[in-house]
Amino acid sequence: MEQISATQPPPNLDALFAALADPTRRAILSRLAGGQASVADLCVPFEMSQPAVSKHLKVLERAGLVTRDVDAQRRPARLNAAPMQDAVAWLEAFEKFWSGSFDQLDTLLEELKTEAKGAGND
Amino acid sequence: MTDLPTYVLERVFDAPRELVWRTWTEAELLARWYGPGVETVIHKLDVRAGGQWLNEMKWGEGGGQRERMDYIEVVKPERLVWYHSMCDADWNIAANPMMADWPKVLLTVVTMEAVGSMTKLTLTWTPHEASEVEIACFAGAMAGLNKGWGSGMDVLEGILAELQS
Repeated sequence: MEQISATQPPPNLDALFAALADPTRRAILSRLAGGQASVADLCVPFEMSQPAVSKHLKVLERAGLVTRDVDAQRRPARLNAAPMQDAVAWLEAFEKFWSGSFDQLDTLLEELKTEAKGAGND
Repeated sequence: MTDLPTYVLERVFDAPRELVWRTWTEAELLARWYGPGVETVIHKLDVRAGGQWLNEMKWGEGGGQRERMDYIEVVKPERLVWYHSMCDADWNIAANPMMADWPKVLLTVVTMEAVGSMTKLTLTWTPHEASEVEIACFAGAMAGLNKGWGSGMDVLEGILAELQS
């Protein structure tokens, strides 16, 4: 739709949430927030085999959260936070939608009660 | 299917149920609170089974979203049930422009229960006739909201804060 200013396609939330649902993958993301790392670098702190780490990286890559250098020999993984930001923003907007509306409804009900009282006293 | 992911929000309002009911069924009142921090324009409001609420929310410069609510059940003053859908400019059901996988139609159930002089309101949102991908997307969002990720959201927010600093 033209009204939306975002130039990126809508993120694939399904893949994103599936990727984020795993504690090991979230830990990998935290590690990558500190700087890029190769599969070998990631094996040490997580005490995991290279194939296991590679598997997690693939899931993160598919969700758009991680990019990997194709040319370099070590193929270091890098964090790409943009889709994550979108997901967090979306969740916050969603959560705020009804709760924020209900705050406004609370205020309106107070106004209506005051009006009714005022009318009754006249 | 009975195990659909469901969003549930409960709130107790310090007002009698009849008054709360009016704020959901009178266009002038509804427009004053629905949609947080946005301008709400109600194009049509016909609160009865088979009736419609056509709603437009406006924000910023030219930004906005149209929604369509098709009422299924209306029991004054305790229960409202409707299909809640995102719409294009012609009120046709459309995919969410921000989230392609978001369910197109959400079944909304609002119940109002009198508790003394107050009203306990419960709102639920459940995907309606949604695809597997849409249901998974909604389930993922609910899991995030209900802290089903454990410290997941905190980790995310920590990472984002770190990147922005």
